[in-house]
Amino acid sequence: MKQYYDFKIEKIKGLSQEEIDSRKKNLELFYKNGFPNKKDEDWKFSDLNKILSNNFNNISNNDYLFKEKNFKQIHEFEHNFISLFNGQIISSDFSYEEKNKISLKVFNYKNEKNLDKKNSLNLLNHALASGGFSLEISKNYKLKKPIVIYNNFSNSLNETIVNYKNSIIINENSELNLINYIDNSSKENFMVNTIENIKMRKNSSLNNILINNSKCNGYFYKYTKNDLEKNSNLKNYLILSGLKFNKLDIEINLNEKDSKSSVFSALNLVKNEHQEIKTRINHNAPHCHSYQKVKKVLNNESKGVYQGKIFVKNIAQKTDAYQLSGALILDDAAEFDAKPELEIYADDVKCSHGSSSGSVDLNSIHYLKSRGIPEREAYELLINGFLSEILEKMQESELKNFLIKKLERQINEH
Amino acid sequence: MLNIKNLEATIDNKLILKGFNLNIKPGEVHAIMGPNGSGKSTLANVLSGKSGYEIKGEIKYNGKSLSELSTEERAQKGIFLAFQYPLEIPGVNTNIFLRTSLNSVRKANGEKELDTLAFLKLIKEKSSELGIDEKFLSRQLNVGFSGGEKKKNEILQMKLLQPKLSILDETDSGLDIDALKIVAQGVNSYKNKDNAFLIITHYQRLLDYIKPDFVHVLSNGKIVKTGKAELGVQLEKTGYTNLV
Repeated sequence: MKQYYDFKIEKIKGLSQEEIDSRKKNLELFYKNGFPNKKDEDWKFSDLNKILSNNFNNISNNDYLFKEKNFKQIHEFEHNFISLFNGQIISSDFSYEEKNKISLKVFNYKNEKNLDKKNSLNLLNHALASGGFSLEISKNYKLKKPIVIYNNFSNSLNETIVNYKNSIIINENSELNLINYIDNSSKENFMVNTIENIKMRKNSSLNNILINNSKCNGYFYKYTKNDLEKNSNLKNYLILSGLKFNKLDIEINLNEKDSKSSVFSALNLVKNEHQEIKTRINHNAPHCHSYQKVKKVLNNESKGVYQGKIFVKNIAQKTDAYQLSGALILDDAAEFDAKPELEIYADDVKCSHGSSSGSVDLNSIHYLKSRGIPEREAYELLINGFLSEILEKMQESELKNFLIKKLERQINEH
Repeated sequence: MLNIKNLEATIDNKLILKGFNLNIKPGEVHAIMGPNGSGKSTLANVLSGKSGYEIKGEIKYNGKSLSELSTEERAQKGIFLAFQYPLEIPGVNTNIFLRTSLNSVRKANGEKELDTLAFLKLIKEKSSELGIDEKFLSRQLNVGFSGGEKKKNEILQMKLLQPKLSILDETDSGLDIDALKIVAQGVNSYKNKDNAFLIITHYQRLLDYIKPDFVHVLSNGKIVKTGKAELGVQLEKTGYTNLV
């Protein structure tokens, strides 16, 4: 196969010789494997190497100095923000909060040497990452307003890959609503490869929301590792329709008693969009809960994948784990693949999973039409109902209304 | 208002309606009674425009052929079917559904769409008439509703959309006596000289409360007998066996 990528560590400025050597090792390993393909079990439904080689002539990395500062802000609710351009912090504002409760720094790569030989995108990230952030919330602090992370990407990113790492620490008894907001309408092909580590200390809680606002030609891969301490509560909401390619690789470690996690996803895919959600929930301690509800609507030639694994360690008695995947397939050319997996080594657990896929119920459409609702709107109502169900239990009403509206737009705009 | 002539309806290669005739004028209440499998629900489905039926014969609604109208156009022009089994639609909020429905009909008739406030005021008034708790309206459409609640919701939709021709398909089934009275009251209070009702039922029960002008007995896809309200009372005593 033709070589369609070309990466140079020299483009990253300010590295020590030690860092350069470590990054080179990672890059060499990446070059051995290349981008993941179908032979890799984690990528069996999405041959990324093929997808990229079909769409890119030559991907390279660049350590840009970004001058852009303007971006569109959310007006629907008051919020703090961190603005990133191509992964680099440009500005931030925490003026709704008490001083010294929030720490934001550029991610420090000095101590990052880990070679994860299994995941070639992680190898590439270790080799090429720059920018990114470390966010830490002090203990006993409940943020008054959400933090929005504006993930901006320049329109000049054609045939470029952006790699960065983030770290988020929520200390004891603290609470955060975090919104990762992507708003890019670039027609250029570019790729974003992110690694994010989230640490949740005792009794902390986090709503981690990922939402996309416009159509863009970006190829996104994000690996998130979440470590949860005692009685902490993590909720993920993934509402990312509109991206050309997106794979979220989410690892959640329920490391201590009574920790809880959930993953809710609503995707309406059109044209040849491709989205994959891969989860690995590790129940490493007793009395933990995990809940997953992943919903997809597939139009045209789109493809949706869900690979969800629940692992229950032998000591993790009284585990309560639930996983549900549902797909509405509206076109014969669309594809949905699901691979639910349970691996259980404890005997006193409650684990259940289910997967359903089908088309829209025509009797329901008839019912709506018999009330004067035109066919297209009837479909939109049903699809909206199917997807927005994942937000039903959300308690933050202002945020919930915002997400419902965004989701509605993602559905009605195609 | 409605003129059906020699209607034949086939589904899955099975002929269900076999030359059905019926004429309904404004202000009239017609009841169609008949045993299981006589074609009552098929008639309701065909009138609502449900797909899957092969139709022969003629159905005219206010002089226009019904076959040219889609399901939603029929509803917009004033035909309403209260379903025998109202569908549960998860994720769709009842209030949003009702508002979308009302505004679709208003829009099609060149009327101004109602904003949220005006709609809420209207729906509050209509639902209290039927003794429907407002809490139901913020729930998912018919999901987890009891049989009686679902049927009341159908009548609420009728009163909201103000149709000219209302077809009630076994609206009395699954209703307890109190709910039956409320539903009947809902119908009676809406009845006037300009609108008409077609009530499809197994039993006389509902007709004790909504007095029909005509009772038709449907058997094997055809009307075999037509009479006044007394026919229903008589059928309750003698059953269908003598007629079919």
